[in-house]
Amino acid sequence: MSETDGRPARIGRRRVLGGAAALTAASTLTYPKYVFSQTEKNHPLAGKSIHMAVLGVAGWLPSSLSVDMSPDFAKYAKAKYGYDVSFSFAGAPFGALFQKMATSLATRSQEYNIMISDSQWLGALATPKWIVKLNDIIAKDPALNIEWYAPVIRAAYQVYPDGTDNLWGFPQVGDTISIFLRKDWLEAPGEAEAYKAKYGSDMPKTWEDFEKMDLEDWKKLLAFFNRPEKGYYGIAMQWSREYDALSCPLMSFMRSMGGDIWDPKTGQVQGIMDSQVNVEAMEAYKSMLKYNPPGALNYFIAEVVDAFTQGKVFAAWQWLATGATMVPKELEGKVMVVPPPGFKNKAGEVKRNYIIGGQPWVINAFNDADHMQVAFDYIKWWYLPETSQEYLKRGGLPCDKATLSAPGFDDIYPWNRTYKYMLQRSTDFWHDPKYAEMLSVQQEAWTGYMTGQVNNPMHALQYVACKQQAILYDEGTADKAPTSDCNGIRL
Amino acid sequence: MSGDVRTFAPVTSPPAALAARRPGSFTRFLGRRDVMPTLLLMPVLIFFIVWNVIPTLWLLGLGFYRFSLTSGRPPRWTGLYNYTSIINDAGVWADLSRTFVFVILAVGIETLLGMALGLLFWNSQRLPGRRVALTMLFAPMVLTPVASGTFWRLIYDPVFGVLNSIIRAFGFQAVSFLQEASTAFGAVLAVDIWMWTPFMVLMTLAALASVPKAELEAAEIDRLPWHQRLRLVVLYHGKFILMLGILLRTIDAFKTMDLIYDMTYGGPGSTTQLVAMTLYRRAFEAFNMGWSSALAVILLLISIAFTATFIFVLHWRERRAEAA
Repeated sequence: MSETDGRPARIGRRRVLGGAAALTAASTLTYPKYVFSQTEKNHPLAGKSIHMAVLGVAGWLPSSLSVDMSPDFAKYAKAKYGYDVSFSFAGAPFGALFQKMATSLATRSQEYNIMISDSQWLGALATPKWIVKLNDIIAKDPALNIEWYAPVIRAAYQVYPDGTDNLWGFPQVGDTISIFLRKDWLEAPGEAEAYKAKYGSDMPKTWEDFEKMDLEDWKKLLAFFNRPEKGYYGIAMQWSREYDALSCPLMSFMRSMGGDIWDPKTGQVQGIMDSQVNVEAMEAYKSMLKYNPPGALNYFIAEVVDAFTQGKVFAAWQWLATGATMVPKELEGKVMVVPPPGFKNKAGEVKRNYIIGGQPWVINAFNDADHMQVAFDYIKWWYLPETSQEYLKRGGLPCDKATLSAPGFDDIYPWNRTYKYMLQRSTDFWHDPKYAEMLSVQQEAWTGYMTGQVNNPMHALQYVACKQQAILYDEGTADKAPTSDCNGIRL
Repeated sequence: MSGDVRTFAPVTSPPAALAARRPGSFTRFLGRRDVMPTLLLMPVLIFFIVWNVIPTLWLLGLGFYRFSLTSGRPPRWTGLYNYTSIINDAGVWADLSRTFVFVILAVGIETLLGMALGLLFWNSQRLPGRRVALTMLFAPMVLTPVASGTFWRLIYDPVFGVLNSIIRAFGFQAVSFLQEASTAFGAVLAVDIWMWTPFMVLMTLAALASVPKAELEAAEIDRLPWHQRLRLVVLYHGKFILMLGILLRTIDAFKTMDLIYDMTYGGPGSTTQLVAMTLYRRAFEAFNMGWSSALAVILLLISIAFTATFIFVLHWRERRAEAA
């Protein structure tokens, strides 16, 4: 994945320095207790040398920053706690990371001391008690009791089961869906006039213009810039069968249009997944395919990055954590990052309910005492104001309220404003231990519809509903068994 | 001789001396005809028991339990539940039937092409560059399936793939080989054929080498037509090696997973979802170990059935002849 090459976009030194200075001032006021000069006497690890292994997403900038920034922690630990620490990083792509993590943890290994998990995996990691439950630790240590920017952060990255107070993770990177688009294409001479001549309305230009746009408005804009005869296309979206590539955007369509995929309280899927509104969402998403480049049915994150940075598409449907990769030096100043399409409700208001991305830190429950101590020292350091600023500067997306609310935050990178906006309009989906099985069924059926294996979207939804109902009933999560019409159902 | 004191070593009684010269019980044990071979085989036997027998028994047992690695619960005895669940799963049947189609087409085409190419190379022993051509022909077989899958994924790419560049050069529209439900299965099948036809060439050459030269010369003197020479001489002597090749390829094609994983991940939809991929996903993505073990046992039985069928077919004529 080309994310490995990701460097923060150079957005202008003055803007970055100005924003960072404002953040420093604001956050220092917010966190007066934790300053670097503070030293702890009689730290249990003083004089020792420890090696920590971090497991995270391969080729994913926020994950790699956890180790890239670790020399700063090593200096901090030496000065504050008196021990030496070094870090190594192991990674796997999204689709293979859980397997790598789970197989190691199932053997009660401390091969990886700190792990960056996807938010959906919390249930699967917490249920067998492979990761540390954090309630008592947070209660004892106020430095870990952090105020987050939006309620979704705690719900997505920390809590399992949903709706309880059981905490298992700390946010490592926040992430939301957005649209990166070519500002220079919008501003090219003659385009605005041609657009007005074609549609009779002004071409959107500002962030506020895009905030007001619903799917139909977007389709016009994408159709306008879709020029296959010249090798340019309207948008690159995610359609692949790999991991949750298609599920996240499609579930965003479903939820924004008023549908849902299940009832987390009862585990009921049938009757919710296979609804008419979800059929319409499936059709709406498929209708976007004609604005995508050929081969887009195989697109996941990396392919969208490539299509956008190679100048093949006007817009890209993408996770904001890829910001630094999506806006390389060549595109500096030429890209806008705006909210994804809204959907008009019955009252005519444009609403968004998108799937949140991002990953939490989780701590290996099989760590010995020394590694456990360092893991929590590291996490505490991670949320220090100066660490958050450094992380932000390098292209990471922090989640704490102090950093995100600081003056100047919105202007540091082109995606920051949209990040904050979408955090208020995003929710997570399953944290159930059976997520992998449910996701697999969903990806199979939904990509089946998008690629033409299944022509009837309702059939694809019924297939998913039956299979997921059976999985959840089998596990004891769902109250009801699948209905008899599920017998023998196949794609 | 006074004072000439002769000292004698104590005289050992003859039976005791004989006993000292006789091999000890351990040596006698080693000397037994069946012991030494058993001892020499022991390392292999231990390896076989540890890595084959115990895991297979474990697998057989786990198939009767409900056990998910991520459920946090200990395995629970459910008898034949996993087996009935698999038998009632229409998706598994669909994957199995797709796998059978894949195996029949892949092995069938590879065998025909392999035999044709093998005969071609066998008949052209004085052709210059034959060795180089053979080495090049075998290259796909020695590449790892993941590397081959990656090459071909790029070759098939609708935007920058070589194949589509050629298609476009002839004035046709690019084809999304791996992304369209109508073309993905054929595209993956073609790669498997490309990869494994060389193996059948190799087996054909080995089969041809086993044919006695005298019989071939006799067939030539008798001016037997080529198809009779092939059937009555070549296949008569080489059929065992050829059948072995077909058997190995059948078992191998039946468990194709890595190529699919790399090229299509079973998609689009489920059009390239072979049963080994289903097993992988349920075992190592969903960590549903009980169900996956039951499916693995079923697949093992199918593989054993393949082997038994091939051996039966191989010896069918002899049996008929003996019966007659």
